[in-house]
Amino acid sequence: MTQSSLGTNLFVVWNEVKKNIKFLLAYPIVFVFWGIFPIFWFIPFILQGEALVGGLSSQAFAQIAGTPDFVPFVVIGSVLNSYVLSSLYGMGESIRREAYQGTLDYVLASPCNKAYILIGKAVSESLTSTIFAVSQLAISILFFGIELTVGVIAPILFILILLVLGLYGIALMLAALSLRFKQAHDLAHTLEYVFYLFSPVRYPVESLPFWAQLLGKLLPLTYALIAVRALLLLKQGLSAVYVEILVLLVLDVALILVGFYMFNWMENKTKKSGMISQY
Amino acid sequence: MSTPTDDQDVYSIETSGLTKVFAKKRHRGILGFLRRETEKEKSKNEKTDALTLALDHVNLKVRAGELFGLLGPNGAGKTTLVKCLATILIPDEGTAAVNGYDVMKETTMVRASIGLVVGGERTLYWKLTARDNLMYFASLYKMPRAEAKKRVNEILEIMNLRDRADERLEDYSTGMRQKVAIARALLHNPPVLLLDEPTLGLDPTFSRQIRSQIRDLCRNQGKTILLATHYMYEADELCDRVAIINNGQIAAVDSPNRLKAMVREKELVEITCVNPPLGIEAELRALCPKVEIVMLVQGDEATARPARIKMMGEEAEESVGTVIDALRKKRVQITSLNVGMPTLEDVFIKLTGGAKLTEGTENEKERHEAE
Repeated sequence: MTQSSLGTNLFVVWNEVKKNIKFLLAYPIVFVFWGIFPIFWFIPFILQGEALVGGLSSQAFAQIAGTPDFVPFVVIGSVLNSYVLSSLYGMGESIRREAYQGTLDYVLASPCNKAYILIGKAVSESLTSTIFAVSQLAISILFFGIELTVGVIAPILFILILLVLGLYGIALMLAALSLRFKQAHDLAHTLEYVFYLFSPVRYPVESLPFWAQLLGKLLPLTYALIAVRALLLLKQGLSAVYVEILVLLVLDVALILVGFYMFNWMENKTKKSGMISQY
Repeated sequence: MSTPTDDQDVYSIETSGLTKVFAKKRHRGILGFLRRETEKEKSKNEKTDALTLALDHVNLKVRAGELFGLLGPNGAGKTTLVKCLATILIPDEGTAAVNGYDVMKETTMVRASIGLVVGGERTLYWKLTARDNLMYFASLYKMPRAEAKKRVNEILEIMNLRDRADERLEDYSTGMRQKVAIARALLHNPPVLLLDEPTLGLDPTFSRQIRSQIRDLCRNQGKTILLATHYMYEADELCDRVAIINNGQIAAVDSPNRLKAMVREKELVEITCVNPPLGIEAELRALCPKVEIVMLVQGDEATARPARIKMMGEEAEESVGTVIDALRKKRVQITSLNVGMPTLEDVFIKLTGGAKLTEGTENEKERHEAE
């Protein structure tokens, strides 16, 4: 048997990504979805805000959000939230699809470390989210006057990576539940609204009651949104958001460790019960 | 039961007391869950009834380089045993080793030592090409990119798939897809192959090709092959030794010829007929009380395979006239009569006391004849 090396492990990740992208491209209708959905996703919120305050900025909004312009605020929330959506639905669905296709047995009966397969699944989900996010940003820059300077791109990407790592941990937990319960879609749907409600996607975290703010503090999206908005809207540097970065790092480590532990535990449990390849 | 093997032999597969129990899934959905909660209060005995013994203390030893058959009807425990050996299922009791590695403690080494083929329509990515499928699985077997590319080309050539290697599997026939599945099992050149119903659902031409490949892999490439099948003729034709499995238990292990010798001393009669009425089996049993086994093996409408009446034991031959008369009275058309030529099917019937065979088993003789 060939020993594992960085090269062979990266080859697993690469092939997993390639496989998932080819699945997507096998269904051309997905391009229509990618083209339209980003616009449908956030434009209603902007129009709703405009209807409420009679324009694209509000002083009342500025008092709690730190910026009067709610369009950039909503765009940032929407872009980051698209990573939440793909993480919640992507990996669990991918595991379920493997079981449905009858390939899960073969994947699990291979000698490679399953972590690399899961990383491959996560990376392919992130790639599709990035296409989403870039579409949304492009629309915002073209039609809503959002400014994106070159200097903030690297710090924003850094925060984005921290967010995505934490989301991978949650995705691993959902993938684990998919192994056992097969249908984790509804749980993902519920979690989507947990993120949506308790993280400052469309409104500042200060709009929430105190207890809800505490719940929001358990979610990585909350810290990523606060940090990205500080960088992009308030023109602050990374040093101004070091607390958010530290908390994100801690959450990432905790969520990924729990995610892998839960996946391995559930894999063993379903191998014992004989449910592993059922769908 | 223990298997007749020489202790000097090297074994590629060994199991000892291997046992697997599944909980019966009688209740599904939310109503089922609520019902199950109520049942928790019931007695311990009832809980035991809710378990299925899929493997019951299975002891097997498969020699290195041997083509070993695991023969039994659907639900006998063949797939469960294959999955335990492939580390997809975790046994509840006993031990198993593949290529010298413990299936529970050295899973990575076991996985690297086996090639797995499970029959059935969907075991590959249909939206990908044969080459993409093989490249993907090559990466899961830790092959570096250059080596994987070379090996995939080699294996596509061997399996005669090179011309259509870049077509999606959804455009392949069932037989071609099964060839890709076998190609996947051979990618990493494993010493042990676990083949679970590899010819299931294939037409006679592809079945013959696959069987020829299986024989070649064992005889010329020295692979150890565990072939789980419910096709009696397949096991008879290919295997050095066969284990007959029923209800999770190994009923006998020996070469096909020696197994058949077990029933050769017995009187054997097979009457092939068309559409025997329901209840005829009980009627014939009553007419021939001294014949040890009188059994109706149902026919298969899909392939127009007629039903067969199997009679085994003392006075089976003497009772032929009585049975034929009874069938004629019921206006059952008799198409052939065969006396005294045992098959593995007869061995299976004898060992299991006339356990019902599956539809596939009934069809396999016809498949074999067609080939």
